[in-house]
Amino acid sequence: MAERSTERIGFACAYTPLALIQAAGFAPYRILPMGDWPDQAGQLLHDNLCPHVKRLLDRAMAKDLPDLSGVIFVNSCDAMRRLADAWRKVRPNDRTVLIDLPATADALSVSFFGKEMERLAGILDEWSGCSINAAEIEDSLFQYGQLARLLSDLSNRNRRGALSGGSTRIQELRNLAVTEPVEQTILLLQQALAESPATMNGQSGVPVFVFGNMLPDPAAFALFETCGVHVVGDDFCTGSRMFGEYEPSLSEPNIFRRMAERILSHPPCARTFDPGQPIKIASDIVNQAVACNAQGVIGHTVKFCDPYLARIPMIREALKTANIPFLFLEGDCSLRSIGQQRTRIEAFIEMLR
Amino acid sequence: MMKQYFDGLVAGIERTLRENPENKSPRKIYALEVAKLGSRLYSGKKRVAWCGVTAPFDLLNAMGVTSCFVEFVGAMLASTGMAGAYLEEAEHAGYAGDTCAYHRGVIGAMRKGLMPEPDFLIATSVPCTGGLAVMETLAKHFNKDLFVLNVPQRLTEESVQYLADQIRAMVAFVENHTGESLDKENLRRAIHFTNEARVLTEEVYRLAQSVPSPANGRVLSNFGIVMALLLGTKAGVDVATAYRDEFRKMIDNGESGVADEKLRLLWIQNRIQFKNPLVDMLEADYGAAIVSDELNDITWGAIDPEVPFEGMARRAISIPFNGDVTRRIAHLQQLAKRYRIDGAINPCNWGCRQGTGARGLISEGLKEIGVPVLNLEVDCIDSRNFAEGQLRTRLEAFTEMLNERPSIW
Repeated sequence: MAERSTERIGFACAYTPLALIQAAGFAPYRILPMGDWPDQAGQLLHDNLCPHVKRLLDRAMAKDLPDLSGVIFVNSCDAMRRLADAWRKVRPNDRTVLIDLPATADALSVSFFGKEMERLAGILDEWSGCSINAAEIEDSLFQYGQLARLLSDLSNRNRRGALSGGSTRIQELRNLAVTEPVEQTILLLQQALAESPATMNGQSGVPVFVFGNMLPDPAAFALFETCGVHVVGDDFCTGSRMFGEYEPSLSEPNIFRRMAERILSHPPCARTFDPGQPIKIASDIVNQAVACNAQGVIGHTVKFCDPYLARIPMIREALKTANIPFLFLEGDCSLRSIGQQRTRIEAFIEMLR
Repeated sequence: MMKQYFDGLVAGIERTLRENPENKSPRKIYALEVAKLGSRLYSGKKRVAWCGVTAPFDLLNAMGVTSCFVEFVGAMLASTGMAGAYLEEAEHAGYAGDTCAYHRGVIGAMRKGLMPEPDFLIATSVPCTGGLAVMETLAKHFNKDLFVLNVPQRLTEESVQYLADQIRAMVAFVENHTGESLDKENLRRAIHFTNEARVLTEEVYRLAQSVPSPANGRVLSNFGIVMALLLGTKAGVDVATAYRDEFRKMIDNGESGVADEKLRLLWIQNRIQFKNPLVDMLEADYGAAIVSDELNDITWGAIDPEVPFEGMARRAISIPFNGDVTRRIAHLQQLAKRYRIDGAINPCNWGCRQGTGARGLISEGLKEIGVPVLNLEVDCIDSRNFAEGQLRTRLEAFTEMLNERPSIW
């Protein structure tokens, strides 16, 4: 990997407050499960644990990581918590922190999570040797808001079939946005938007909404496209869910609480929910699919992901009620696993045509 | 069907206790209270709340709510040999076969109408994300209100306050559903019972540490986790008293739970809930006694009746499954030392990400203090893939290895 001047902080979950890391003078670096490493994680973690987490640990054990000034874990699910445990074992010299994350976004939880943000800010201060101030966090939030808007604009362009490179390119840009300094990515996104709209792109594809947990590999989106899928919308933690737009709120003076509110009100991963509207994720997916005029929905989750696997039957039911065809795929974060699904994806698209 | 089952169980145990008052074993008294709880859950007459494992059951008992963690149903289906049909029902409905079978059993029971309809639900974020998901599914299915207690990972004053405030909000939620305010005297009495049961249970565990131990592989099976349901009640105190008295008597009489105890074992996390011959084999063939279960311990202090919600919050945060794995390993190491453990068995309940996920780290942690761990591959609820022969062979090899090494104590 290329050497960079900016010190990086590793992270693994979409609930990580990137703006805070950037405000502390670090570049957030998402440790993505893309690559080929010996399968060693099983020495510490059970075989039935999330392949995402195990591949990240494989990567750590293979020492295929850039220099990291610290690693932030978020208690988003059991597997992530276990990753934090195992990481400390295989990389005992890394500075690490596990941030608690409530499952709900009620006022008490926002307040608690805000304090967790404040705790993280203190830890980042220690790691950097400098003190973060509110103005720097505001600037950083503004930049990430800008980045989110640019990505959203590109996604809209792709939805219209007017983006050269289609969803594959979007995913490449999203991966850059979580591994490179935000300023660089903003420039790249601005350049991409300045290009003339492509013509004909995606017009022969069938509009499909895709959702799930992890699908970071652009080649997976390329495979979708070669199967005749036009990805008109997505909801992955390595996709749109990573970048929520930031609307400055004047009603909440505490910056950490505001960040907490923002993160907890993101389009959620299945692990976060509103107790007042149980399984709202199902209607959310239906609504998102309808909003982008999708003819069908493809769900893709990595195996052993309890938060998603437990909700898929009710999501399937909601899509059926809405007369939206649904294809569910399970993978292991490798391109090979999704490649094996090609025939099913092609058959699904044939059925939609 | 379940109401008749539990009523029959209650009647049968009560008859036995009446006819043979001398033979009043603590396990029977425990089983009677569990059966009574089951009977209340399925009565259709009581206020019922399905809950997460770390809900404050003493508080709910004080509020007149029959409350129980949902995993109870999975364990009950397995122990009565009925789990298969309910697991299949869940799987046919699309619930993945590689998820926790406790929860799949619950989903199957829900779909087949075997779960009593609750008045409301109280989920807890600890011990697992799978548990939260099943609570959300139940709330949707029954169209009942759901309250979530987010149990923080770290024990700090801030996190205790956060959870205590949630418990206060939970009280308001329950009051809204029952139409009755929390009676302060009821709460005070419940906390008194909780604290009394706590002291007695600590004594039970202390007595179980004797060499040889009055405990065996069955007498304290599932005890710690089920006792949480009886907290805040006289029944909980009675059960703990019965155990304490029996263990004291056994020790005074020089009796042990397993005749000629040779090996002392620690069982990690869940017991295998369906009938199986492994514990009998360990005891009869190898004199190996399971003297400690990971879930049989008191990790919390007495609840101060003046600030009860803070105490309940500390209790929920304190469970060793919460927080990072070093805390759990430290707890297992303490248990191993206190009970003079020769070896530990981890069934590695299939589908349990939070518990089984860290099995390699747990093995290493116990190995550090010289305690070997046998990691099995068992689904503690689903007997369909139970490889008895293979498990026997592995247990035999493990106990033979333990027999050949000198005691580390």
